[in-house]
Amino acid sequence: MNIDTFRRAILTVGLVLPMSWTAGSVATQTARSFGVRVSTPTINQTTTSAVLPPGGDMVTNSGQSVAVGGLATAQDAFAIVSGDADPTYGSSAVSSATLGAVNLLSGLITADGVVAVASSWIGDATGSDGEGSSLANLVVNGVSVDDPAPNTRLNLPGAGYVVLNEQIPTGDGVTTSGITVNMIHVVLTNLLGAKTGDVIVGSATSGVTR
Amino acid sequence: MSTLRTLALLAAPVAVALVAWSCEPQPNALAPNIGTPLAHFQPGNFVCTPLKMTGGGRIDYPPEQTTKNPPASHEYETFGAHVMGSGRQDANGVCLADKGALEWVDHRREMEVNGHPLNLHATEVTFAEVATDASCTDGAVHWGGKLRVQNTGQNDLDFEVWDCDNGEPGVGHDGFAIHVPAIDYQVSCFTVTPADPTCYLTGGNRQFHPTH
Repeated sequence: MNIDTFRRAILTVGLVLPMSWTAGSVATQTARSFGVRVSTPTINQTTTSAVLPPGGDMVTNSGQSVAVGGLATAQDAFAIVSGDADPTYGSSAVSSATLGAVNLLSGLITADGVVAVASSWIGDATGSDGEGSSLANLVVNGVSVDDPAPNTRLNLPGAGYVVLNEQIPTGDGVTTSGITVNMIHVVLTNLLGAKTGDVIVGSATSGVTR
Repeated sequence: MSTLRTLALLAAPVAVALVAWSCEPQPNALAPNIGTPLAHFQPGNFVCTPLKMTGGGRIDYPPEQTTKNPPASHEYETFGAHVMGSGRQDANGVCLADKGALEWVDHRREMEVNGHPLNLHATEVTFAEVATDASCTDGAVHWGGKLRVQNTGQNDLDFEVWDCDNGEPGVGHDGFAIHVPAIDYQVSCFTVTPADPTCYLTGGNRQFHPTH
C-alpha cells in the first residue's frame, strides 16, 4: 500500500463513516432550566436546577429562598423539565423556570415575578418558542421596564449591561430545533469594558433532533 | 286514542329539551367519583390503550384565554406533567398508569399559602386512559392519582387531569385541566377550549404518543 492509498483509506473512514452514523441516528431531546446562575472569577454557582435525563421523563427542583454570592437573591424558585424523544410520533421538550421576588446587584435590578418557558417540538412540524415567558414589575437602575421585547439590552453604569428576555435559537429548523430563554442576563464588565462574569436569572432551554 | 296522541305530542318536546340539557357542560358536576376515570372529554368515550403524554407549560387566569396576562398580574399557573400507560386494566376495569409525574404551581396572589405559591406535587399516578375526542387532533388523555400539597403537607389527595395535544405549537392549541376536590381546587374551562374541560396553554406544549 503506497502513501496515497493509505490517505484515501483514512479519508473514506473519516468522511463516509460519520455520514452513516448520522443517517442512523435516533431522535433526542434536551431540556434544562435553573433559577439563578452566577459565574465570576470567584463564584461559579447554579441554584434550583433541573436537567432532563437522556431517556426523557420529568425532573423538578425548587427552593423557597435563594441567595448566591451577595449578587442575587430570589424567592420561590421552581425549575421543571419534561420531554420525550420519539422518531415515529414526534419529539418534544419543555422547560420552565419561575421565581418570585428577585433582587440583583444590591437592588440595581428587581422584579417580583420571573417566568422563563422554552418549548421545542419535531414531528409533522418543527419549531421552538419562548411563549409564556414574562417579567413582572421589573425595575432596572430605578426605571420600570414593562414587558421587554426579546433581547432588550440596557446599560448598567459601573457594572456592565443586562439583556432582558434573551432568546437564543439553535438548530436548523428542519432536523433540529432549540431555544434558550434567559429572562435576566447581566454581563458584568470591568472599567475597560472587558467581561468579568455573568448573572442569569430565570433560564429555560429546550431542544429536539429528528 | 287521540288523548294519548296529544299527551305524546306534549311530552316529546319536554323529552327532547331534557336530553339536550343533559348534553350541556355541567361545571358543578365535575368529578363526583374521583379516583376512577370519568367520562368528561366530549364526547366522553375512553379506551385503554398504550399511551404517553409529556410536556408542561403555563395557563393564564381566567383560563379561557389563549394569550398571557400582563406580567404584573401574577394570574397564571405553571406546570410539568408526564404520564405513561401500557393499556392494562385492573379487575374493576380501571385503566392503570405505569408511571407519571405532576408538578403544579399556582402563582396567583390569592392562592398563596403562607406567602408562597400553591404547589401541588403528585406522589402517585394510578390511572390513565385515552379519550377518543376528535377535537384534540393528536391525542387526549384523562389521568390522575394522588398528590401532596407541598405548602401544607396535606397528603394522599385525589386528583385528576384532562390533557389535550391539539397540534403544534402548543400555545393556543393544547389544553390542560386539573381538579383536586379535597381542597376544592380546580383550573378548568368549559367554553371555547380544544376539549372541555381543558384550558388553553399560554406557554409550553403537550406531546401525545400512542405508544408506551
